[in-house]
Amino acid sequence: MSDTSRDKVTEAGVAVIGGGMVGSALAYGLAKRGANVVLLDEGDIAYRAARGNFGLVWTQSKGDGMPAYAAWSLASAAAWPDFAEAMASAAGRSIGYEQRGGLVFCVGDAERDQRAAQLRRLHNQRDDAAPVATMLDRKALHDLMPRTPLGPQVVAASYAPGDGHVNPLYLLRGLHAAIRRHGGRHAPGAAVTQIVPTGGGFTLTRADGAMLRADRIVIAAGVATTRLAAMVDIAAPVRPQRGQIMVTERLAPLLPLPASALRQSAEGSVMIGVSVEEVGLDTGTTVKELARMAARALTVLPVLAEARMTRAWGALRPMTPDGFPAYAQSSTYPGAFVATCHSGVTLAAIHAEALAPAILAGRLPDGFEPFHPRRFDVRTAA
Amino acid sequence: MSAERIATDVPARADIVVIGGGPAGLAAATEAARRGAAVVLLDEQPALGGQVYRAVEANRARGKTLDADYAEGGRLVDAFRASGALAIHEASVWLVEPDGTVGFSRAGAATLMKAERVIVATGAVERAMPIPGWTLPGVMTVGAAQILLKTAGLVPQGRVWIAGSGPLLRLYAVQALAAGGQLAGIIDTTPPGNRRAALRHMGGAMGALGELRKGLAWTQAIRQAGVPWITGAHDLRAEADDDGALGTISFTADGARRSEPADTLLLHNGVVPNVQITRALDIEHDWNQTQRAFRPRCDAWGSTSVPAVMIAGDGAGIVGAAASAIAGRLAALESLRALGRLDQAARDDAAAPLRRALARALAIRPFLDALFAPSPEYLVPAGETIVCRCEEVTASALRQAVSLGCLGPNQLKSFTRCGMGPCQGRICGLTVAEVIASARGASVADVGYYRLRFPIKPLTLGELAAVHAPADPTAPR
Repeated sequence: MSDTSRDKVTEAGVAVIGGGMVGSALAYGLAKRGANVVLLDEGDIAYRAARGNFGLVWTQSKGDGMPAYAAWSLASAAAWPDFAEAMASAAGRSIGYEQRGGLVFCVGDAERDQRAAQLRRLHNQRDDAAPVATMLDRKALHDLMPRTPLGPQVVAASYAPGDGHVNPLYLLRGLHAAIRRHGGRHAPGAAVTQIVPTGGGFTLTRADGAMLRADRIVIAAGVATTRLAAMVDIAAPVRPQRGQIMVTERLAPLLPLPASALRQSAEGSVMIGVSVEEVGLDTGTTVKELARMAARALTVLPVLAEARMTRAWGALRPMTPDGFPAYAQSSTYPGAFVATCHSGVTLAAIHAEALAPAILAGRLPDGFEPFHPRRFDVRTAA
Repeated sequence: MSAERIATDVPARADIVVIGGGPAGLAAATEAARRGAAVVLLDEQPALGGQVYRAVEANRARGKTLDADYAEGGRLVDAFRASGALAIHEASVWLVEPDGTVGFSRAGAATLMKAERVIVATGAVERAMPIPGWTLPGVMTVGAAQILLKTAGLVPQGRVWIAGSGPLLRLYAVQALAAGGQLAGIIDTTPPGNRRAALRHMGGAMGALGELRKGLAWTQAIRQAGVPWITGAHDLRAEADDDGALGTISFTADGARRSEPADTLLLHNGVVPNVQITRALDIEHDWNQTQRAFRPRCDAWGSTSVPAVMIAGDGAGIVGAAASAIAGRLAALESLRALGRLDQAARDDAAAPLRRALARALAIRPFLDALFAPSPEYLVPAGETIVCRCEEVTASALRQAVSLGCLGPNQLKSFTRCGMGPCQGRICGLTVAEVIASARGASVADVGYYRLRFPIKPLTLGELAAVHAPADPTAPR
């Protein structure tokens, strides 16, 4: 295993703290461009949203209230096909990526009206002509998926042709393999406990006592981001928000397009989400939420009643107060960056292809001001 | 046999819910119900007895006792029947929440039941024995064969080989021979050094002469039947015939490679605690290097870090049927104290003779643990041997994932799908931990185990949705 030595200061050009979806995509993008990168990852038991997420590459609900986020998500979706190819090549297998459109089902007229209003709002907030998503009525849905036996209460869906899905676990595996392929180092079991700015660089202390000096650092530590970012004088409020997911046995093709909280993987299993719970650092499952999610899924696809679910899990989304990503470079300690979001899968392509080169160049991309976490600072906002 | 009490109306609440109808569960339920608690025993099987006393009542009615130990099972069941506890059969428990809510399904219908205390008595499962070819049709576990024998009186036909190590292997051989079965041979993979190591514990074992005699009698019965017994065998493989099913087994013994035609191969590699429920509750588990298994952390009563949940029997560490029954009674006494049905002095008075009996029942354990310590060869399979049956993940794929930075089973699971199938890692969990530990040069204790989540049994979405309290099931989150 690389880099598990204790009490030995090693050197890196860029140390990425956090081996999840955000940190791994950035480390890959950096390594690919020749940086001397080390990815500091935690051990087997960690709050890994990257291991528990749903796997949508999704644009159609993103950025209501922050057009920059909507644009960033769209740019990533556009970069995804090439990115997926690189990941499949590194993983040595298909990563289950498909981009054939995505749906948000509406059960009942109220949901339909609400969804249509949200799409209008999203479109109005952006200044380009083409809407990201459109509303499909029941007949249009049938024309799109004639063999999908939707429940009678499904009256409509929103549809975004650019949306898709991926197997997030194979994506993470591909990222880690690609980092190695480009000469980056992946250090598992290397949780970082302390960051000390030293002489234009940073000295990191790991939980196992080992130390590492890096010219630049990227804090992409999910729910641990707040604590670490404070060490480089960035206030980045992130709290854990639990989502539960369950998955069925493999079924014959049933749902050709992924939907919000309901998708069928390339292997045939159906994934069902998703809960939104403020329960702190608890990754457990509850029958209350799972039963509600199952009932909702059966409303959309009644034939799933006979499907056996094989597993359920809980994972923690790293949530900022407004739910949008936070990206920043420390003004006190230049060279220290923070990157956190709960859309690590959707944004993986753009993190690797646009954010990583910006970090390498020493400044965040133009137009990134809205993402700065100073927007949460009560003093300046007041 | 008394008239079977069938649960027609399942109560919504109970003082104590016991999960498992083996010795620990039967004894726990009996003790608690006798002392006035409302007790429901949830059993996955169609009849009481657990694995060890499976179908004991039906076999007794047919005049079959299998052996003297089995008669003890009959006494446990009789006491349970007289206790007033309610048994619900064919109940597949898929949920235990920390507040004592238990979710189970019967015949495709899910129910939630609320208990003040839950006693988990889910016993042991067989340790996997992943040899090349262990997934071929024709290869099964000794435990599965014993189920067929006990429930249907079936013994496999043709050339039947038994391979592995452990008391159950001998017991099954004796039972199969008594039932008219033929055995082509026993391939004993117990490492030759075990016998010497076990002799050091002979002193303690002398306190359990009956148990020792029983083991010797089994060995004798097998030899008298003229069954070839090959000791010190290693590098065991199962190979397919032209039809894709088992055709041949091969192994090395006395320095020579042997190949034998085979129709059935029964594998057994000892038993380990069934930790599905305790793992899913995030109870701490400790590695037992001697038994090479994890066991949930609990005190001498079976209390865990989850106040409403106790553990009794082999699920808390392999102790055998007799000790399990005593542990069940101890857990019941402490549950009653916690419920205010028994004061502490009364609990302790009742427990004192049980603790003495427990010490006697456990006296032979160090001897057995040493004698049947599993062979490292079958703990850490090599090369292309399948580890995860459900997803067909090989040992070499696991080693590759370790080289990609997987330090433990959870990251490895997400990279390889190992343990993601319907069995949810029940079969491969320990093998995976052993393979990672060996590849990393770390201890299994440091590597850890799968993080499990409820539901621990596959259930249909229809069952799950049925327990949703539907104010408005269509309500978005």
